[in-house]
Amino acid sequence: MRIAQEDRAAYVAAGRSAMEAGPSWLKLDRHEALENFFRAGFPAREAEAWKYTSLAALERQQLHSPAPGVEFLPDGLPAGHLLGYGNGYALSRSSALPESMLGRLDAALARTTLPAAARFGTLAGRESMLVALNTALWREGLVLHLPAQWRVDEPIFVVRTIDEDGAMVHERSLIVLEPGAEATVVELCNGRGDYWRNPVTEIFVGAQARLLYVRLVEDGVAATHTGALFARQAQDSRLDVLSLALGGQLTRQDIALDLAGAGASATLHGCFLAGGRAHVDHHTRIEHTAAHTQSREIFRGIAAGRGCGVFDGLIVVRPGAQKADAQQSSRNLLLSPHAEIDAKPQLEIYADDVKCGHGATVGRLDESQVFYLRSRGIGDAQARALLTHAFALEACAAVAPGTLRDWLTQRLDGALDRLVEGGRK
Amino acid sequence: MLEISNLHVAVNGTPILKGIDLTVRAGEVHAVMGPNGSGKSTLAHVIAGREGYEVTAGEIRYLDRNLLELAPEERARAGIFLAFQYPVEIPGVANIQLLKSALNQVRRARGEAELDAMDFLDYVQTRLALVGMKEELLYRSINEGFSGGEKKRNEILQMAVLEPRLAILDETDSGLDIDALKAVADGVNALRSHERAMVLVTHYQRLLNYIRPDRVHVLAAGRMVKSGGPELASELEERGYGWLDTTAEVGEARA
Ligand SMILES: Nc1ncnc2c1ncn2[C@@H]1O[C@H](COP(=O)(O)OP(=O)(O)OP(=O)(O)O)[C@@H](O)[C@H]1O
Ligand SMILES: [Mg+2]
Repeated sequence: MRIAQEDRAAYVAAGRSAMEAGPSWLKLDRHEALENFFRAGFPAREAEAWKYTSLAALERQQLHSPAPGVEFLPDGLPAGHLLGYGNGYALSRSSALPESMLGRLDAALARTTLPAAARFGTLAGRESMLVALNTALWREGLVLHLPAQWRVDEPIFVVRTIDEDGAMVHERSLIVLEPGAEATVVELCNGRGDYWRNPVTEIFVGAQARLLYVRLVEDGVAATHTGALFARQAQDSRLDVLSLALGGQLTRQDIALDLAGAGASATLHGCFLAGGRAHVDHHTRIEHTAAHTQSREIFRGIAAGRGCGVFDGLIVVRPGAQKADAQQSSRNLLLSPHAEIDAKPQLEIYADDVKCGHGATVGRLDESQVFYLRSRGIGDAQARALLTHAFALEACAAVAPGTLRDWLTQRLDGALDRLVEGGRK
Repeated sequence: MLEISNLHVAVNGTPILKGIDLTVRAGEVHAVMGPNGSGKSTLAHVIAGREGYEVTAGEIRYLDRNLLELAPEERARAGIFLAFQYPVEIPGVANIQLLKSALNQVRRARGEAELDAMDFLDYVQTRLALVGMKEELLYRSINEGFSGGEKKRNEILQMAVLEPRLAILDETDSGLDIDALKAVADGVNALRSHERAMVLVTHYQRLLNYIRPDRVHVLAAGRMVKSGGPELASELEERGYGWLDTTAEVGEARA
């Protein structure tokens, strides 16, 4: 639904300051995107992709662009490169990499000679109005651009904190790995208050390049997070995406991977926790465009209290994608009678020589497993907690064993403990 | 140690056990035999405390307590161990994790200090050797992808680690090769003592060649239809169950 004139002021104000700087092509883009958003408005429940998730509360909310805030650094963050963002503003940077490789996106786009700039916006497209609003209103932003064969061994942590009620923050990231480059990026989203976070990330993985990208959502209990991630892979590249949705009131993640080069392979793993009255929705789309491409998707969802989860996973195999191999598994666990999870796997196959499979389940803990543990002396609550942790941890298998995995596991364990505790009350 | 009297159990309203009497004293080994579907596993599960079994009459006393009042974990901590006929697979929980938590729970209940990581590992090594199990299996998920024989050995390993007062082995000998059968028997014999008791549910004489029982009982259609000494097992092996009057009065079967 179009945005009424009287409701446009906040977006216009945010747009005005965001559009001050930058090359003219970008300003034009931004103007157009804002107009599109005003015409079409927020996605409505009538749209199939938004059937289970309502943004009505967000639409009614008084939102504003916040001032730079602070960053919340979590305990025990492993060693690595660190970029801190507060309310969308770049606050701190600790990395030996040059700013042209790891730095602010606005600066990169101002220097149009950078090849990364030419990629900006080409994956995010114009269909989604949430993306359009992000395009119009993002500021500062993040770019990671690794030249060919460049390997960054330590993980790059991007901590994004929002700590203002009613704040809307549109974060924009562009990640480009030229052929043979390798990196690990961990984006941590945390904060406090009833803010709205609307990040858009575009990822290009060059031939034979490798990227592990983790999004760890630990948003505050009142927060809304609508995230969109787009990735395109060139031949023989490898992309591992892990989405851990552990916080927030309403979280929506749209993740679209395009295996565009022959021999490209991807894993897309996720684990979401929905307790209290939280709502967590993952919409994923994996497109096999080229031959001999492989994808593995594993999602684990856990809902407690009156929490609600959605997994909608589409796999598309294009006509040219012979010998594509796609496997999807979505398993979901309900810990309370009022919790709900909808799992909807979908396959669209337009090639004939392919291997595809998917499975989706929604259920409760297996009582024969609970009894087995109890019969060994382990208490009922402990047995259930043990099984719940084991269930969720399957999603972390994408990350190689080591300090990063240990740390992610700790974050997940902590969130699960709180979920299980809260569910018991 | 264990006194079962006039036990009636129903599942979903269907009577399965129809008046079981069984007394097992400390130091004894009893064998329970009987046709498929006669209620042997049901009896084992009721002793271990599985939900879904309705005790409609009778009682079970264990070490002079009313066993039926206790939760499964309380029974385990009080020294009851069930080796499952079909051990459950638990992906994502390492075998060693279960052994450690279980042992520490049981030790706490016995008033003993928890073992630290090093002492625990040393202790588990000795038990592994006893049941002839590969160390690698400790670090795998519980029973996940284990062969039939490995699952059974794993049950015996758990028993050997927990050192229960009363162990019930539900067809732990089924599907085992000779070496595994011997390993199971060694595990059981190592635990045999005048303070412990065992109930072996089995279809075959061959386990009883390694572990000589004090008493043998036949369970048929939810009743104990015959009890006797070890020679009863060989007789059953030769003649099957057909010659037994499975409608026999409960009184005749009292051990
Ligand atoms: N949960 C259940 N629901 C319905 N019937 C059940 C259930 N559990 C057991 N039964 C029935 O109770 C009877 C006894 O089963 P049980 O497993 O105790 O037999 P068993 O003597 O151990 O047999 P086997 O030698 O084959 O292991 C069977 O007829 C079985 O179908
Ligand atoms: Mg049985």
